[in-house]
Amino acid sequence: MSQDTPRWRRAIARLVDASVKERLVISVAALVLAVAVGFVIVTLAGLAASCTTHPTIFGVRTPSCYDPFAVYSELFLGAIGHPEQVLFGTGTWTPLDFRVASLLRSTTLLVFTGLAVAVSFRAGMFNIGVQGQLLLGALAAALATVYAAPLVPGGVVGTLVLVPVGIVAGALAGGVWGAIPGALKAYADANEVITTIMLNFVAANLAYVAVSTWFTPADSSLVQTATIPAAARIPNVPFGFQPRDNFSLLGLLFAVALVVGVAYLLARTSFGYDLRTSGSQPEAAAYGGVKEKRTMVTSMGISGALGGISGAMLVLMVQGRWLSNLPQLGFDGITVSILAGNNPLGVGFAALLFGVLKSGSAAIGFGTNVPPALVDVLRGLIILFVAMPEFFRLLGGRLGVGGDVDA
Amino acid sequence: MRKPDRGTLMAALGGLAAVVVALGVVFPGSVAGELLGIASRPIMAEIALRLAVPITLAALGGIFAEKSGVINIGLEGLLIISSFTAVLVAWALGGTTSAALWTGFAGGVLASVLLAGLFAVVCIKYEADQIIAGLAVWLVALGLAPFASSVVFGGKNTTSINRFSEWTVPVLHDAFVNSGVGILSYVGHVLLRANPIVYLMFGAVAVSWYVLNHTAFGRWVEASGENPNALDTAGVNVHRVRYASVLVSGLLSGMGGAALSVGHVGSFVGNGTTMIDGKGFIAIATYLFGNYNPLGTFGAAMLFSGLESLQIGIQQFTPYEVPSQLIQVIPYVTVVVVLVLVGRTRIPEAAGEYYESGDDR
Repeated sequence: MSQDTPRWRRAIARLVDASVKERLVISVAALVLAVAVGFVIVTLAGLAASCTTHPTIFGVRTPSCYDPFAVYSELFLGAIGHPEQVLFGTGTWTPLDFRVASLLRSTTLLVFTGLAVAVSFRAGMFNIGVQGQLLLGALAAALATVYAAPLVPGGVVGTLVLVPVGIVAGALAGGVWGAIPGALKAYADANEVITTIMLNFVAANLAYVAVSTWFTPADSSLVQTATIPAAARIPNVPFGFQPRDNFSLLGLLFAVALVVGVAYLLARTSFGYDLRTSGSQPEAAAYGGVKEKRTMVTSMGISGALGGISGAMLVLMVQGRWLSNLPQLGFDGITVSILAGNNPLGVGFAALLFGVLKSGSAAIGFGTNVPPALVDVLRGLIILFVAMPEFFRLLGGRLGVGGDVDA
Repeated sequence: MRKPDRGTLMAALGGLAAVVVALGVVFPGSVAGELLGIASRPIMAEIALRLAVPITLAALGGIFAEKSGVINIGLEGLLIISSFTAVLVAWALGGTTSAALWTGFAGGVLASVLLAGLFAVVCIKYEADQIIAGLAVWLVALGLAPFASSVVFGGKNTTSINRFSEWTVPVLHDAFVNSGVGILSYVGHVLLRANPIVYLMFGAVAVSWYVLNHTAFGRWVEASGENPNALDTAGVNVHRVRYASVLVSGLLSGMGGAALSVGHVGSFVGNGTTMIDGKGFIAIATYLFGNYNPLGTFGAAMLFSGLESLQIGIQQFTPYEVPSQLIQVIPYVTVVVVLVLVGRTRIPEAAGEYYESGDDR
């Protein structure tokens, strides 16, 4: 192993070792700060935009085209379908609102990509390639269910067979694609940040070529696979949102189960112990007999498999087929994991929060004239602020609450 | 794994190229002959040079930052923000005149320097993890540029504006091109009339090489990354050297991004991973391959851009029906192969580490 590796890992260890309380304070502070900076960005962007009517804020007509209050009202309340309407008597709302479904749909998918990133970070590696693993996992799930469908009966039995087949196919494809940069890192010392990003581009192009050459139905003008059979869709049980909402509580339960499973794997199994120590104290791990190269490949494989599962869920629950422009959930997973301090249980909460942002982004596009891409700006800002705990320590010191934040 | 050293690798690459050339000369009708025929056209070298510009400039910036001890993985973000801002400013000024385009270019560079400055403060003052802060720079730019484009242009892609017109070396260009001698005419076509961004790149490579190897600042940058304690003891402020180096990386990457958008393409494309499409990450692989040497880095960038221009050539000049997405994979796979094969890239001793000087607190 080269001399540089331990240092990179020590840097991650610093992030991982901070106490849970400190992490929570930093994550909340980062979020608040990102929202505040977003507020300024919206206002400034409104000055550059052109519009016919300017919004009135607190009775004052603003020179800006955008109303940041309206934006944040959509981002956080619109994200859940404006439940406050009930309080003001201006409308109705149920917990089964389609925006709630959209929020939980994004949450479900982000749990998988967030877990994928978290597993690699805990092992001391940066898997930035979840997007590629997702793309290939989605493709494998779509193809496996389409081609397995004629072999199994329809109905409940078909679902019991096809859904697991799709998920396993996705996990395998993502896992193999994730293990490649793990092996390159372990045996050839190739920087995994760069190789995973490069493999994203490779995966996107290869999947596109494969689908356009072999798997696009003759009557389709877009590059996409055939629709998966109805029996392969994640069933809408135990009780339902609207079928068109493309969300199933069963999918969310599966996500929660994986959160618990990964948390257990990391915290309570000997493999999890090896993974964590080779991430935080590589020398000690090697001294203690951890087969570090094999641990690297395995943990990147698991990380990739989780990314592949997110792709499978995207196909089986939401899209119903592989499309060339699947959403960039892999990059969101980086923010989710970093916001959660790479803790699997934290990933659950961070994914919920990001689900709100995603659903809110759609609400912004619907309810305001501000481009929904705003949420992608917040994604970057949140990482930026989480990355600098020292900033909040100094800020806390200035404000006289430093003792609260110190580890 | 034992890795071949750089010399062996280059020899192997050179050997491979020589074999293709020999085959092409001996069997003009073969695939090798066809490839040689395409590669020897002046237009291919011109395209390769233009495509090398953003990669080379970002990589030069990355050399300064990393040599000083700050790993700047956010080069991609700097390229994105500068390419967008350059188009925005040039468009606001009309987008047609040379003055508007060059002002836009300056605006793009400024945006990149500011973002690099933010990155420097976050890493150096607030001791952030450099990798995560670099990813943040990338993701901030990846969010901000398409958002701003949507605000101003109503979509993630900007409207098209003019781009730089070519510069011609007076007298010499005509003399070379009309000389009737093959090699002189080739040089005339490729080097004596070119997009100004190509000359900018040559200048930046030369200046970077000189600064790093023959100036006091170059020695400080090296010491700041290899042995910050010694530099501190010698009375040079390590933090100041690192700030300066990261700002230089912003300056050079900014020139690269702006060169691509207002120099070469004439618009900004913000869909998906934007028009930068991983060039910032390729730049990192490039300077690792070039072993932090500006000249070697330029050579490595030409390898990547040469492959890309050959891909364009194959599509334009041959009847082969290869899907373009498949050929586009080549540069990305090459980066992975390079990272696997490149031996003896020793990153600076203190790179990635926060330096705490004794008299800080």
